[in-house]
Amino acid sequence: MERRNFLKSVLYGGLVSMASLKGNPLLSSGRMEVVSDEKNDLVAVMGGEPAQMYSRAIEAMGGISRFVKKGQRVVVKPNIGWDKSPQEAANTNPQLVAAIIKDCLKVGAKEVVVFDHTCDTWQSCYKNSGLEEAAKAAGARIAFAHDEKYYRTVKIPSGVRLKEAKIHSEILDCDVWINVPILKNHGGARMTISMKNFMGIVWDRRFWHANDLQQCIADCSTFSKMPVLNIVDAYRIITQNGPKGKSLDDVQLAKALFMSTDIVAADTAAIKFFSQYKPVELNAVSHIGIAEKMKIGTTDLDSLSVKRIKI
Amino acid sequence: MYKRLKWIRVALSLLFFLLITLNFIYFAYSKTNLSPVLHLQFVPALLGLFTGTAVFFAIILVLTILFGRVYCSSLCPMGTYQDIVSRFADFFKSKKQRREKYRKPNNILRYSFVLLAFAPLAAGITLPLALLDPYSNWGRVSNEIFSRGENFIHNLLSTIFPDAIFYRGYASLVIPVLLFSAFILLLVTVMSALRRRLFCNTICPVGTVLGAISRYSAFRPVMGSDCNHCGICETVCKSNCIDKEKREIDNSRCVACLNCTTSCKRGSVTYQFVWKKSASQSDKPFSGERRQALLTMGLAGTALVSRAAGLSPFRNEKSEKEAIAPPGAVSIQHLKDNCTACHACVAACPNGIIVPSTVEYGIDGLFLPVLNYNNHFCGYDCNACTKVCPNHALLPMTLEEKKLCQIGKAKFSMRNCIVYTDKTDCGACDEHCPTKAITMIPYNGTNLYIPKLNSDICIGCGACEYICPAVPVKAMIVQSNPVHLRAQEPLVEEQKKIKVQEFGF
Repeated sequence: MERRNFLKSVLYGGLVSMASLKGNPLLSSGRMEVVSDEKNDLVAVMGGEPAQMYSRAIEAMGGISRFVKKGQRVVVKPNIGWDKSPQEAANTNPQLVAAIIKDCLKVGAKEVVVFDHTCDTWQSCYKNSGLEEAAKAAGARIAFAHDEKYYRTVKIPSGVRLKEAKIHSEILDCDVWINVPILKNHGGARMTISMKNFMGIVWDRRFWHANDLQQCIADCSTFSKMPVLNIVDAYRIITQNGPKGKSLDDVQLAKALFMSTDIVAADTAAIKFFSQYKPVELNAVSHIGIAEKMKIGTTDLDSLSVKRIKI
Repeated sequence: MYKRLKWIRVALSLLFFLLITLNFIYFAYSKTNLSPVLHLQFVPALLGLFTGTAVFFAIILVLTILFGRVYCSSLCPMGTYQDIVSRFADFFKSKKQRREKYRKPNNILRYSFVLLAFAPLAAGITLPLALLDPYSNWGRVSNEIFSRGENFIHNLLSTIFPDAIFYRGYASLVIPVLLFSAFILLLVTVMSALRRRLFCNTICPVGTVLGAISRYSAFRPVMGSDCNHCGICETVCKSNCIDKEKREIDNSRCVACLNCTTSCKRGSVTYQFVWKKSASQSDKPFSGERRQALLTMGLAGTALVSRAAGLSPFRNEKSEKEAIAPPGAVSIQHLKDNCTACHACVAACPNGIIVPSTVEYGIDGLFLPVLNYNNHFCGYDCNACTKVCPNHALLPMTLEEKKLCQIGKAKFSMRNCIVYTDKTDCGACDEHCPTKAITMIPYNGTNLYIPKLNSDICIGCGACEYICPAVPVKAMIVQSNPVHLRAQEPLVEEQKKIKVQEFGF
């Protein structure tokens, strides 16, 4: 019953926010077909290695084929914002990203593309994060995102402050995309997880900071082409001095992963987990509350079918 | 024998030309650092004489004393460029036009330029020499013109192969530098197309100073007694310095290209050791110029002595507050004293934030590298600029040293901050700050956080200034340290590593 309500709200949220129904992969990609016994809304895993946790989680979500179909062009969007090593946990774990890419290719994805609009010098970020190498080795193509020419303006009709944005053309042109943020504390947005990760698909992030950051983060998640899946990397997490971190002192080895089709639920679960390391009020991360009000998703995890896996 | 020697000379010239030019083109993305080749340049080595490049200066001096102006023929990229241009120009010339003949030296002009370059240097002003230096001019020309051309072709390719070749934004355009470089390129091209090495013997102060020295060089081309005045050597002389009638070669203008030795049918023009013979004999015919040569060397020497003594009677000590010098510059004054504005650092900066100055440092700092945070900021894990400077105008710094090099300090003006003006979250500066000189603190009982700045650990990298979204005036602006300082180490914030057993929900 609750699950049905959830699906309804997702559909409804999609309806009001979309300019065109046809382009929506959520609706058109045969989401209802049965691939696996289990099809949870939210899966949380802890205690394993990144690739291992991913495979357990995706299994509990109904397998990658629930989200990625044969012949589709897929974008996997990690956080590659900073010129930092994987140990410093400012960027998404490369092993996790590689596992997702391989899984997508295994079910017949035509192509998997990886990119991020970095903050530090892009070549250093791509290289030192280990993501370029890992993604290429896993069979993905790395896309450039350092120049405005790689972005196209799209309308965000449901946005309150962010009414249009220049979004990376790989996102606009792909069939489906998977959002793979890393869980970190953040001086401005308080926390950066799945919704905040959208800042890496847009060109002008200064606009967000200047026009009510928290509202803009929520606004961008009303974009008609939402990720089919949000996978939160919490293998290593920055709990202070985020989102860039200063030294390894800022990092905790948390060995966790969260996966959900509901972006708000994914972030809610991640924040609750994070709070055990550093207390954070869900209200304080106000883009979560705004997003729930805008019917982007739910913070009521009990209303979802949740699977918790300890390895 | 001379044929082989000449080919070695030509190969060396082309090699240096290519390696030097490559430093300014596509440098930042290439894997290898070619900058060591930039050390063997006269003006940078001279300016860095007391700050670490004495050995390179000595090498050039010894080479000149031994072999004449081999610097001009092989080491100077501008020299080789002129040879290339005149080679091409020959295709458009008739046989008669291709033939050179002896011309008198243009002494007034060449010594005027020496005076123009070295007299201010003696008074502590580097700029005129920097603007006349052939190597630095080549650097600027490469950077402003050839590099942009390469960038254009690169971007054309990036539209043909969008997945494999990335688009590269163009370097900041500073019109005066572009115009000056274009003027120099045009001047040198026209002069060399018409009269080969005329530039080297009229305008170039380095050519004239080395010419004065090479009047006394050990090896030089000499016309033997069996010469029959056929004049072939005269027709192939790039410097118009062979007088077949008098059977004399003006060694102050000779760039040791060896054309005369290879062209002589009788083998009577030889490149030989002449110190055994009386030097005064070979000086006699040009004894009027001997005085000028000595004066030239005297002037250059005076300039050196005055640098050594740190004399600077006419120096503009007032430095402009807003100009931020790149890491390694030590101080704006150090930069002004040593930098020849060759723009190797401008080319090396992967973020394109080092730009040629116009008025930022004042008039005596024209074209010197200055930081501009409009389009990016200084990478915390980058010390590229400090590694490429030919003469330590930017001192080499290890990454650890550079991470503490405080080139300026951010200044926070709260009344421009988004958190204060809009009452919304921002934190862009905090997010970008590599040392955490900026942290976010609770703001006046609201749910918001506002930046707090600890300038002791700020290094002035400009990340906060670059990303600050406040308009029209940014809330974070880096103010220059005219003398660079050492920032305090970032605070260590140890955190107990904890183990969590539950999901928390």
